Amino acid sequence: MNYFFNKNGPLISTYFIIAIVFWLIFLIIIPQLYMLDLSFRPNLPPLLRGGSDDVHTLVHYKHFIFGSESSDDTYNYVDIGVFFNTIFTAVLVTIINLCFCYPIAFYMAKMANPNTSRLLIVSLIIPFWINELLRSFALRILFAGEGVINNILVGSGLIDSGINFIAMDIALYTGLTYAYILLMIFPLYNALESLDTNQLEAAKDLGSSTFRTHWRIVIPHAKAGIASGCTMVFMLTAGALATPVVLSSPNTYWFTQLIYQWFNMNDNWSRGSAYSILLLSVSVVFVLLMMRVFKVKIGEIIR
Amino acid sequence: MRSQYVLNFLLGLYIFIFFSYLFGPLIIMSITAFNSAEFPSITPWECFSWRWFNEGKIAYDGQHLAGLATDWRLRDGLIKSLMIGIGVVILSVPIGMAASIVLTQVHSRLRTIFYSISIMPVLFPGVIIGISTVVLWDRIATIGGEGFVADLGRNGIFLTILGQTCFISTYCFLIFVARLQRFDQTQEEAALDLGASQTQVFFKILIPYLMPAIASSAVIAFLASFENYNTTVFSILSDQTLTTVIASKVRLGISPAISALALVIIILTVTAAIIYEFLRRREDRRKKEKQDQLIYEETKDSRLKIESKKKFRMPKSIYVILFTLILSFFLFNQLIKKGLYGSECVIAAETEKKSKFSDQLKLLQQNADSLDDKSLEGGELGGNKDYGDIFGDSNLFKDFGGFDTKEDD
Amino acid sequence: MSADVELQNVSVTFGSFYAAKNVSVKIKQGEFFSFLGPSGCGKTTLLRAISGFLDPSEGKVMIGGQNMAGIGPNKRPTSLIFQNLALFPLMSVADNIAFSLEVKGVSKTKRRDRADELLELIALSGQGDKKVHELSGGQRQRVAIARALAIEPEVLLLDEPLSALDLKLRQKMRTELRAIQKRVGITFIYITHDQGEALTMSDRVAVMNEGELEQVGLCDDVYDFPQTPFVATFVGENNPFYGKVLSVDKDMVKVESQGNAFLAKAGKIDEQNKHNFKNGDEVIMFIRPESIFIDNQNNKLDNNFVAKLNTIEFEGNLKNIYLNINSNMNVRFSVPNAIDTSELSTNKDVQLTFSSEKAVVLPKGSLAVD
Repeated sequence: MNYFFNKNGPLISTYFIIAIVFWLIFLIIIPQLYMLDLSFRPNLPPLLRGGSDDVHTLVHYKHFIFGSESSDDTYNYVDIGVFFNTIFTAVLVTIINLCFCYPIAFYMAKMANPNTSRLLIVSLIIPFWINELLRSFALRILFAGEGVINNILVGSGLIDSGINFIAMDIALYTGLTYAYILLMIFPLYNALESLDTNQLEAAKDLGSSTFRTHWRIVIPHAKAGIASGCTMVFMLTAGALATPVVLSSPNTYWFTQLIYQWFNMNDNWSRGSAYSILLLSVSVVFVLLMMRVFKVKIGEIIR
Repeated sequence: MRSQYVLNFLLGLYIFIFFSYLFGPLIIMSITAFNSAEFPSITPWECFSWRWFNEGKIAYDGQHLAGLATDWRLRDGLIKSLMIGIGVVILSVPIGMAASIVLTQVHSRLRTIFYSISIMPVLFPGVIIGISTVVLWDRIATIGGEGFVADLGRNGIFLTILGQTCFISTYCFLIFVARLQRFDQTQEEAALDLGASQTQVFFKILIPYLMPAIASSAVIAFLASFENYNTTVFSILSDQTLTTVIASKVRLGISPAISALALVIIILTVTAAIIYEFLRRREDRRKKEKQDQLIYEETKDSRLKIESKKKFRMPKSIYVILFTLILSFFLFNQLIKKGLYGSECVIAAETEKKSKFSDQLKLLQQNADSLDDKSLEGGELGGNKDYGDIFGDSNLFKDFGGFDTKEDD
Repeated sequence: MSADVELQNVSVTFGSFYAAKNVSVKIKQGEFFSFLGPSGCGKTTLLRAISGFLDPSEGKVMIGGQNMAGIGPNKRPTSLIFQNLALFPLMSVADNIAFSLEVKGVSKTKRRDRADELLELIALSGQGDKKVHELSGGQRQRVAIARALAIEPEVLLLDEPLSALDLKLRQKMRTELRAIQKRVGITFIYITHDQGEALTMSDRVAVMNEGELEQVGLCDDVYDFPQTPFVATFVGENNPFYGKVLSVDKDMVKVESQGNAFLAKAGKIDEQNKHNFKNGDEVIMFIRPESIFIDNQNNKLDNNFVAKLNTIEFEGNLKNIYLNINSNMNVRFSVPNAIDTSELSTNKDVQLTFSSEKAVVLPKGSLAVD
């Protein structure tokens, strides 16, 4: 500690310590710990908090699994359904995203000449400077019952009445895939760019088909990029709020919308915290899983 | 070799589809901003008008859709967003800088833990960060009783600044770490040796070196804060930022004003991008010229003549620009000819709708008298498709999944 | 103003590793003093201990009679020139030079004057506004020196400053550095692994090996009278004859080696005293290549031996002659190019001779590894 103060001078050391303690402890660790604690407490009106009724309880987690006493079901099918639907959809979206973005990333990294790929990169970034809400909104215009796509389809006589894209969740899936393309492409691009092009030529020279080349050579090399991209896309999709708000149907709920509801509609902050912890756990588990499966370390975040 | 051509063609097609997927919705949305119809659409094309940029639609049917210039909520949200953005920059940049410098000074065992904690905020879903901030400060406010602390703990702007700083500091942190990696430590030692105090070393040697990182992390921090939604929507409490205003607009009333807003943002960002690229290219060219000058001076080799300033060559993009101009000119002419442009068109359309509306209102009155529960049981509103024109998308309330229709337990 | 530097039993340890072990040396004020030794011998460590970047684990560093313990590098009257120069890339040349004045709060005009003064000293007048990366290697070298001299330190420390330069430039800079030192008059402490540099520039030199001080002394003393086998073989070339002491007579020692009996001087153990040898001691007798001559009517000295010729190597102004005794020891010596060696042929016996005054006997020990 003395060494630290000596190295940086008293003024600067104080600044460092204040800044770091404030950030790491106060902004990162303590809020999460408090939220974790709150998730185990019953939902009390402000006056009763900290009082005798304020004990640790599993009531909120139980509610997630079993539902309230008033319902007939053995399990809380609605909430659990939403939860798993969210995760399942997020995984699906991640995979679709990966398949969708891989060819483009590969093209940009390996096949295009430098000027073209620079242009492509810039043109990829531009849509993502526009807010996620507005982008989802653009899709909504397209997919709505009176929207552009339906107008074209009906107008040209291909179908009789509008397809309800929104209720069929097509709009939602498209929106989610659309939202995080950039975060999948860039890690992939960076990982693929570092691959020595000579290896590809050697493979072709030895008679390998395109598929085999990718499967055996390119993909193993790009492991870190794939892991990074998938992690980011999954987490942002599972935790997405803007796109489901704009594009989801009344039948489909996103888990984050549930949380929002507990918080702002029902004013049950403890329950909201509990559900938040569930979401957080899923994210953490996924990250760890990715790290294990792909054997990568934590330092692979790009922005 | 044919398979190669086929593959290339497929690839080209794929890329085309990909980019139209990317840009298509945005382009379409931009076009809808100019259609005076109340629901953003391209067909039917009512009139070409600027109304959504200006005054919006004056209500004749009880529904007022504001245009950009007159929407006070947008303005209010914009100001709040700017305030929050500045606050976040003021906090995140110093935090990121401090953390990155300290990272280089700790033992390797502590370093991994330190780095991992610093990265964590990026791995949390944004909603979690927003929630945890609100929850914690509510407790602090309660404990703090009346007065300043309580007010602060429930202030949406304060909470949003804190919540966003949590993860935006990580972005700044990463930028500084990258810049610091190439720093030559011996410079610090040399400065010390020449008599500088530690504080002087920091300000005279380290900060000048970090200037580019400070600038870029400030810009990134501001942009990230400005466009953030997930965290903000929880921490802003009763206040509004630009993004939450947009979100509520999208929820409550879809109107082309939002398309107009989007188009404005698109134009701003594209312009900013072009200016940035232009400046960067100029900087690169200048550096190269200086470099050549140096080499020339050192070698004094007549074979290495400095290239005289190239005459200004037309960039190829000029053709694209010309083409777009001609096309739009042509379109413009067509529009004017067909009377689809201008306030006359809008007024005419409105009058037509107004009369339709009052007609229908009369119809509704008549039906209401003879109404019974049965005919209300249909899926659609009132059962009459004509209403669709007036209230915008008749599917609006049916399709919308928002938050309001879920049953409570 | 210059000061003397004294190291008293200085040791620097990292864990259980001794980077410097029990080093004691007195460097006089105004002296050009070099630490000479192979990589990893601890000379950089000592330099950093003197300049204040690390504290000795044991012992004291005294500058101008004052104990420097606990005093940071920015408060010591020393200036260090780093191996990579560590010039500030974002500042101009003049700002670099005047930096030490800037941190003391000296006014801009005074700083500019001093910078111009120093630019003249290093023959770079008028280049003050250039940026560092616009200068050549040799010019940057000089700027680093000017920057270190600006504050008028009492001791200037130089960390292998010429190692990155090419041969011709190195030779030129050697002379320049020496000239600057003489003109400015402050104590220079110079570290290098190049013994040619150390010997040409310094007043005194300290030879180090594996953290320990092998020998300190005037350059010609260290060359002519090495005190350990390491010094004998690190500084300059030498021929080591392993053998046993036959008899001792005051300063002269009779040594039996390779079937010959040689007469040589007893080597010194420190400045004043010579080694005390007893009959039967295992020793090494050293004779420098330039002290061996071909035995003919012109050269008749008191030591003789025979060796078989291996090769003759032409080096420009010298011819290096490599021979072999009894198939187990290599001997080399040099003759000026002008000498006629045409009658020597490979594998032929050559008669050689050398003077006992030039031969030094030292206790058996490890040599400098090639």
